[in-house]
This record gives sequence, structure tokens and C-alpha cells, in this order.
Amino acid sequence: MIALGLDIGSALANVDGATFGVVLGTSALMFALGAVGCLLRRNPIALLMSVELMLNAANLVFVLAARVRGYVDAQAAALIVLVLGAAEAVIGLALALALFRHRSRVDADEPREVRG
Amino acid sequence: MQDRLIPIAAACLLALVSACSVVFARKPVHVAASLLVHSLALAALYLMLSAEMVAMGQIIVYAGAIVVLFLFVVLLLPQGGKEPAPPIGRIALALLLGATIFAPLVFVLSATSRAAHAPAPDGSATAIGRVLFGSQLVPFELTAGLLLVAIIGAVSLWRRQGAPK
Repeated sequence: MIALGLDIGSALANVDGATFGVVLGTSALMFALGAVGCLLRRNPIALLMSVELMLNAANLVFVLAARVRGYVDAQAAALIVLVLGAAEAVIGLALALALFRHRSRVDADEPREVRG
Repeated sequence: MQDRLIPIAAACLLALVSACSVVFARKPVHVAASLLVHSLALAALYLMLSAEMVAMGQIIVYAGAIVVLFLFVVLLLPQGGKEPAPPIGRIALALLLGATIFAPLVFVLSATSRAAHAPAPDGSATAIGRVLFGSQLVPFELTAGLLLVAIIGAVSLWRRQGAPK
């Protein structure tokens, strides 16, 4: 059991409206920023990191929902999303390396064909 | 219990600033460092929202493994993966589309309500383990298959493209 004397959360008896709104707004803004990054970036690594931003935004909503509803299942879902992000990073980075290791420019818009 | 608003808002602000840096920084190393700060800020937020196990997972998996993986790939790419500055039209279009995603998100999220006096959930490893091996057993076991497929995919990509001749 991870106790570690972490009594930070339980000191928060109830999440008030302001805190709830701040965290929800942060999450929405993070998701939008990740989407902007996906559209804007040409470097495949930065592209993947923008996707990670969007996954993190979803995770934040899961954890907030777990907190305000007192429902542990949402935290388990957040952990599963974490694993999903790791798998996505592994595949994406392997693809980026395979595509761009022998090219002079790193630009995700450039490859016209991807052969297996 | 207003006293938790300020630390939570500070962590949110840090997460947002570093997210901006992830999206707009030019050098990939700076982007990876921003992602590190971002994931640590989120871990602090999770702690304050009484999700200790998720916070530990965030620190170990994100800050410990994924960011380091990103940094390795940055080092392996030609020129460190530097990219040309995007044209102004592309920036404007991306921001416009981001706003069109943001607006409905705010609309939907502002309609959600919070329960009046829910007790704080037990975010310990024991409680989450009970859920993962109980009601969430099927998705949890499926992640094992997902990770296996990811590993096989990465290895086969590497053997096909990058094996020394």
C-alpha cells in the first residue's frame, strides 16, 4: 500500500465549486492545446508529445471525477490510460525512427510513401 | 475548505504553461523538458485530488520512462529533429481549429455537476488493485495484450528498417 504519509488529499474534505471549475478548465485547455500541437508540429516527436497532452487532459478529468464522486473505478481507468499512452509512445517513436533515421529533414508532412 | 484552491490553481497554471511550451517551443529537447515539467505538475494535482496511486504511476511511467524514451529518440534523429518555423497561415488555422475544439468542450464540461458531499476516494494501491482485479479485470488484462503488441511492433519495425546490413 502506498501510504507514504501522503495526507494531502484527504485534508480536502470536499472539492468546492471554484476548484472544480479551475481543474475542469485546465483540462479543456490542455486538450485544445494538444490538438493545436497535433495540427501545428511537423516534428514527429513533438507531434507525439502533443497527443500525450491530450491523453493527460482526459486523465485529469478521470481523476477529478473520481474525487468529486468518490469513485475509485475512475482512478483505475486513469491508470489504464497511462499504459495506453506508454504503448502509443513506443510504437510512435519506433515509426519516427524508422522513417527519419536516413532522411536529412525531419518533417512529418514529407514522406509520400511508407513501405513495410 | 478554500485553502486547497491556491495550490491546486498553481499546479494547474504550471501544467498549462508547460503545455504551451510543449506546443510552441522550437527545440525538441526543450519540448521534452517541458513535457517533464508538465507531467510532474499533473502528478502534484493528482496527489491533491487524493489519487496517490495514479500520481505515483504518473511519476514513474511518464516522468521516468516516457520522457526519457522521447529524449533518446531526439538524440537519435538527424539534427536533433529541428523543424522549420511553420508559416503564419498554418499557425492561424491550427489556433482556429483548437478554439473550435475548446468551445464545445467548455460547453459540455460546464454542464457537468459535482456531487454535493461525496467522500474522498481511497486512492491507495490496495483500493485500486481491488478494482483492477475485480470489476475492471477485462480492460486490465487487455492492456497486457496491448503492451505485448506494442513491443512486438517496435521490435519488428526495428528489424525490418534498421538492422545492420
